[in-house]
Amino acid sequence: MVGAFEQAILALMIFVIMLGMGASLTPRDFYLALRRPYGLAIGVISQYGFMPFIGFLLITLLPLPEAIAIGVLIMACMPGGTTSNIFTYFSKGNLALSVLMTVTSTVFGVLLIPIILVVYSAALDLEIPRENIIATLVLLLVPVAIGMVMRKLNANVGAVTEFFGSLLALFFIVFLMVSWVPRNWQFLMTTTSATYVAAIGLGLFGITIGYLFARALKLHPRNARTVALETGIQNGPLAIAIIAFTFAGTEAQSYMAVPVLYSLFIVIVSTLVTLVFRRANTAAEQAMPDGLL
Amino acid sequence: MADSEKPWTAFYGPSVRAEIGKPKFRTLGGFISETAEAFGDLPAFTTCLPNGMNGTLTFRQADEMSDALAVYLREVAGLKTGDRVAIQIPNCLAYPVMAMAIFKAGCVLVNVNPLYTAEEMAKQFADAEPTAILTADMFADKLVEAMQGHPIPNVIVTRVAEFMPALPKWIVGLVQKYWDKSGKPITHAHVRLPDAIAAGREKRDQLLNAIAEYRSDVAPDDVACLQYTGGTTGVSKGAMLTHTNLLMNMEQTMELINTLEKGKEVALTALPLYHVFAFTVNFLGFYSIGARNILIPNPRPLTSMKRAFENYKITWISGVNTLFNGLCNEIWFTDSPPKNLKFASAGGMALQGAVAARWEEVTGKPVVEGYGLTESSPVLTFNPIGKSRPNSIGVPVPSTDVRCVDEDGADVPIGDSGELIAKGPQIMKGYWKKPEETEKTIQNGWLLTGDIAVMEPDGYFRIVDRKKDMILVSGFNVYPNEIEDLLAAHPAVNEVAVIGVPDPASGEVVKAFITKQDDGLSVDAVRKYCKEHLTGYKVPKMVEFRDELPKSNVGKILRKDLRAEEMAKTNVKEQA
Repeated sequence: MVGAFEQAILALMIFVIMLGMGASLTPRDFYLALRRPYGLAIGVISQYGFMPFIGFLLITLLPLPEAIAIGVLIMACMPGGTTSNIFTYFSKGNLALSVLMTVTSTVFGVLLIPIILVVYSAALDLEIPRENIIATLVLLLVPVAIGMVMRKLNANVGAVTEFFGSLLALFFIVFLMVSWVPRNWQFLMTTTSATYVAAIGLGLFGITIGYLFARALKLHPRNARTVALETGIQNGPLAIAIIAFTFAGTEAQSYMAVPVLYSLFIVIVSTLVTLVFRRANTAAEQAMPDGLL
Repeated sequence: MADSEKPWTAFYGPSVRAEIGKPKFRTLGGFISETAEAFGDLPAFTTCLPNGMNGTLTFRQADEMSDALAVYLREVAGLKTGDRVAIQIPNCLAYPVMAMAIFKAGCVLVNVNPLYTAEEMAKQFADAEPTAILTADMFADKLVEAMQGHPIPNVIVTRVAEFMPALPKWIVGLVQKYWDKSGKPITHAHVRLPDAIAAGREKRDQLLNAIAEYRSDVAPDDVACLQYTGGTTGVSKGAMLTHTNLLMNMEQTMELINTLEKGKEVALTALPLYHVFAFTVNFLGFYSIGARNILIPNPRPLTSMKRAFENYKITWISGVNTLFNGLCNEIWFTDSPPKNLKFASAGGMALQGAVAARWEEVTGKPVVEGYGLTESSPVLTFNPIGKSRPNSIGVPVPSTDVRCVDEDGADVPIGDSGELIAKGPQIMKGYWKKPEETEKTIQNGWLLTGDIAVMEPDGYFRIVDRKKDMILVSGFNVYPNEIEDLLAAHPAVNEVAVIGVPDPASGEVVKAFITKQDDGLSVDAVRKYCKEHLTGYKVPKMVEFRDELPKSNVGKILRKDLRAEEMAKTNVKEQA
């Protein structure tokens, strides 16, 4: 379902995209996010509190085969994905908060994911491949750091890198769409509607609940939108990698169904949500008189 | 004049000259070249775009380019001393290069607002009769239409990314072409700015003394700038600002802030350079001390300036009340205010006490208010650094005399309000081709500002209001500024404008227009709040909430537009 070559391409693309994101950040952004750990804590709670619970509810309420249910649970327990940073970027959210939340949830994940998996499914005896989580972290942090240094050294190099990184991010989304859909057409046609509901609902409910939660706690709307995307968007590739490395054969293929479907639909869901958020963001800009030009 | 008659000189710092006999430089051209000599390879101007892409010119580069462009204007375009040259571009590197070239060529700079409609442009062209114009690709389409009344033989075209490194320039070009579609095709005959400079360079190499010769043709009292203003009467007219006017005003202003470090300051120029305040203080003043000017092409939305604040150690910001208020409402700005900031200076409109206080609270640095008019190049008064007073326009700058007079031109007692009049080397030569308007505005060498002010016993001045904005409620004078200041201090109020509207009972009543900071604000709450602080007749009878207030090109809230709307309403009622 996901070839080695495809994974390598994805990894390379994520690297360049994160480079561009690093170029859009300054150390000050991280300092500010840390100075207000409130937002960060909310992120962790929604990531590991709400998401697995939403997954649990979906499994309970929907008539899902066991293999699919396992896929839903794994997906629900994943940390935030780098894709959330991309969508936060495009929705003009708080990128530093998003990156920080992705990093934190990944770090906390090492401890929290197994605990949550045990809590929600005592029957599931899953090993979390640490090396993959570390790889994700490195993948995430190294290019971000390089990008930040590049910008510090030369603002133009930083801005250009950021520009190409964001172009590639756009391309990345298109790439996911055109490379997965045709090759898995048969699979997509034969999957039950309950599976679709679970795969789509996980992201959609995650974003909605993340947003409502952040707003209820009176977070700035921009930060609330960031938390929403961060909550709903999980690290799909990590889930796919974990399953691929942990299970084998048809078992792996059936567990992978939800992560793949989720990854596919989260792009569509997030794109729509991003459009709404962008509009909200533009509407919230202070109206400045023309002639300040 | 003896010091006893200028009590305010007591507030000047010990190293501040109270009188500046004559400017250090004879003409602006000489000032530009000699200053460039002194600061050489330091960065002078940087354009910073919203995404952080940027371009920089050093003092030497800007000087060399403007030399070549001056030669182009004279030798290739065939302009003569005193010919008018228009600039109609947003803040970007091309602006200083062109402005400097115009002064060096002995021509007269005419600043044109880039957002003008073709009709407004046509009016200004017909009056100023420029023979050359520098425009930007994004406004070029309006130009052809505007030139139908007065054709301009030499059209030079530039772009916001001009003089930026190749790759960012290319990307900005792509974005302009395919994304925001702001790069418009130009059908009219024109030359691109870099081509004009190249052609000028070629000529200059043949005429080695050209620049010195142009300069010697210019007298200090020659007009350097035609700066258009609505003035007190509303008719647009060109204030003739001479080389001496501008050079003196620059020195007068910089004298009061002479603690700035030469070659080390970084000024954020978000105000458009076509505005006289940015022109004299940011462009000329900061150039004179070797500062780096960060030029912001478009500060809307305000997040467009985020990168400039992140990437440069801004030490000085000039702005208007609207800008300071806006920045204080931006979470990215309040979260990490500029660390290296020394001061901010406000002009162009009254700085509200509440905004000044909030700014100081956010940045830890005061915003000092100055005051002046286009007709006075523009600075007349300024708050001395460290002795800044809230709601005060400060004290007159060196070599400037300011009085408050009554209707007959006699001084009012100290502490009483009267029209502010001023005299000094920065007062314009007059209005271009409008001698009657000039006579009305400058009498016996005194500029009548049309502003009502009060002089404190120690020499600080306070603007009470515009003469024409005063509201007369049952024979009591109400100054809108006072009520606006009070309302602006209310946490639920974002912006406010106060005007007088006709009323059969009291002649006029006070009406407040408010944009809310907090949606919960009600009319009753506003009136109750006013009643707690104001005498009855000053309390707004009417309160209207708006999403936006009408503003001028530089962000000044336009009471006259609100008045016009109210008048229109009253007329409709009367007809019905």
